[in-house]
Amino acid sequence: MDRRDFMKTIGGAAAGAYVAGRGLPALAQQRGGGAGRGGRGGAAAAGPVERKRISIGGQRVTVIDVHAHCTVDGVAEVVKGTPFERQAGGRALDADRIALIDSEGIDIQALTINGYWWWEVQDRALAGRIVRAQNEGLARWVSDHKDRFVALSSVSLQFPDLAAEQLDYGVKQLGLRGATIGGHVNGDALSDPKFDPFWAKANELGVIVFMHPGGADNIVKDTAWKARGDIGNIIGNPLETTYFLTRLIFDGTFDKFPNLKVCGAHGGGYLPSYFQRTEVACDVRGNAMCANKKHPREYLRSNIMADTMVLTDEGLRHLVAEMGISQVVYGTDNPLNWPVPVEMIVNHSTLTNDQKVQILSGNLMKLLKITTPATA
Amino acid sequence: MPNRRDFVKAMALAAAATAGDRLAFAQGAPAKRREVFIGRKRIKVIDSHAHLNIAEVANVVKGTPFERQAVTTGDGIIGPARLAWMDRDGIDIAMLTQQGAFWYAVQDRGLARDIVKAQNEGTAAVVAKNPDRFIGMASMPLQFPDLAAEALEDGIKRLGFKGGGISAGWAGAKNLTDPEYDVFWSKVQELGAFMFMHPGGTNGNGDPHFGGKGALPNTIGNPLETTIFFSRLIYEGTLDKFPGVRICGAHGGGYLPSYLGRTDAQCRRQDDVCTGKKRPVEEYFKTQLMADCMVFREEGLRHLVAELGVGQVVYGTDMPFGWPVTPDFILNAKFLNDAQKEQILGGNLIKLLKLSPNTTA
Repeated sequence: MDRRDFMKTIGGAAAGAYVAGRGLPALAQQRGGGAGRGGRGGAAAAGPVERKRISIGGQRVTVIDVHAHCTVDGVAEVVKGTPFERQAGGRALDADRIALIDSEGIDIQALTINGYWWWEVQDRALAGRIVRAQNEGLARWVSDHKDRFVALSSVSLQFPDLAAEQLDYGVKQLGLRGATIGGHVNGDALSDPKFDPFWAKANELGVIVFMHPGGADNIVKDTAWKARGDIGNIIGNPLETTYFLTRLIFDGTFDKFPNLKVCGAHGGGYLPSYFQRTEVACDVRGNAMCANKKHPREYLRSNIMADTMVLTDEGLRHLVAEMGISQVVYGTDNPLNWPVPVEMIVNHSTLTNDQKVQILSGNLMKLLKITTPATA
Repeated sequence: MPNRRDFVKAMALAAAATAGDRLAFAQGAPAKRREVFIGRKRIKVIDSHAHLNIAEVANVVKGTPFERQAVTTGDGIIGPARLAWMDRDGIDIAMLTQQGAFWYAVQDRGLARDIVKAQNEGTAAVVAKNPDRFIGMASMPLQFPDLAAEALEDGIKRLGFKGGGISAGWAGAKNLTDPEYDVFWSKVQELGAFMFMHPGGTNGNGDPHFGGKGALPNTIGNPLETTIFFSRLIYEGTLDKFPGVRICGAHGGGYLPSYLGRTDAQCRRQDDVCTGKKRPVEEYFKTQLMADCMVFREEGLRHLVAELGVGQVVYGTDMPFGWPVTPDFILNAKFLNDAQKEQILGGNLIKLLKLSPNTTA
């Protein structure tokens, strides 16, 4: 994703359906994670936005969004004068975000900082300072807007033991509700035992791990990616997630850490929607060497979760049928303009009211330990 | 390129799975031919996805760098065991495509032409022995678009084939949407040839990320290759340029039909990346792109049919590989009515390939 394209589209979007808000993102995040064109711009400058309140069957539902990108102030100062100086910008939080979630009927948003450029930092002390700045920035924003946001911890996963410490500190001291990660660390698969300290900590704390891909640049590097349709994102992102979740299954990571709840962005990529080949691979392929102890579907229905970004009524019906209702949670990709309005769930053609409430609210209230429902 | 070791191993596995049948056959016990009925109607079952190897190819590649790629033994060689297997499962007709794609790497035009000639004439000979049980599909040297067009025309006009089999390796291979392939696609369209696309290029073999557990070059690499191929056919405008082309993707068409929302949504939110195509993404799947039913579970099939329409889904088994997909997978699907079951098991292909609806047994 280059900056020129990004600015062009943001400009286009702002000039189109949305009135430009103040503070356009200064710099697109690199590596595709959370980057991308087609931001919503902002709505704040248009004046106060009426807050949309969602009810199902006459009952007010606390709508929680698991998939929301942001950056925080404070990181820029830490990386100043380092090779990572230009990475600190992005989707800074401000009044526009509140206007956006008001307008979309989102009561509580789980914020994550994505892109994972800081995983390339080889200086352990610097890596620690960057994540500290990210997590403290998140905690500050959340404490200023307690009823509207929670946040997940960034971690320095290139130093797995440090990542475990950061997650522990983030959850216990800063009130963060889990961790966010990419699909690989500089090309290394996260089922590699060297990452066990991180998984062990997430397992111990019982917190959600939200995984967001960045274009599968770990596994596809050739020119097939440079084509129309933005397929580096459209195929690359679900591919990275598919590969990531697949390895956690087949390499036995979920057996080692059975308490894990790993949520894959964008409907968990291809994996849940096309699970059948994965499911029979160990039986059919003589060279599969599977290390998993249980049938692959058991992980899909317990350890693996997915957001609702399959974007169609039939896609969501299928996702729920494959994973079980407890594994599917609402996610929007805010502030990007993917068409996943809350109405996709509220007006769904086959889900029951109870199921809709679980997806929009119940599953995440439990997992993110949100105890106060929306009253407004 | 195609990984022969992997292939041989899988063949051995498939052989083990059918050892019982083959033993019974060797002992002279005739396998009873299963006849599939829906209600009281005898249904013609057509397998769109069946592989073969032609032993004579070994003579052609002898003394060349491709000598070790020829397969001369195993379940890919069509013989009584294959018919016994089809009889047992209730498959009336198998559409035969070559397994693998090693000949795409041949740089010598003459050798490439000779290899596919041996494959195609060998296939025609197999069909000639049991013309009511097999349909031939042309093998083509896709690295030479003009030769591929020639081989397809020869296969259809001289050898009586109904279409051809293609692969679309994604690492370093040419893209079949490049304009140099217009000569090939225009021939496909002109002949009304049915294309069966089966991944089998490089699909991650040799990339350390696809090593390790779970047979990932197959489990992920195969549907990925098909996904990129279909995406490019749509986005680069190839399907608009050649609206008569019909392509069936193996293994449920890869990821794309099962995860279609993202593909279409991207064009709605960023139309500047979708300038090469003329229609909404789902329309290509309702018309030109098809998929076999190799999704193994009723819920997967239900989703596939919902996304593509029942007229775009065809029965396929991957024979002689031992994937769990007999006609009962379709017959037992609760969400399908009888007419829909018949369409998937054979009706769609009878119509498309203008086959006789009658069965011989």
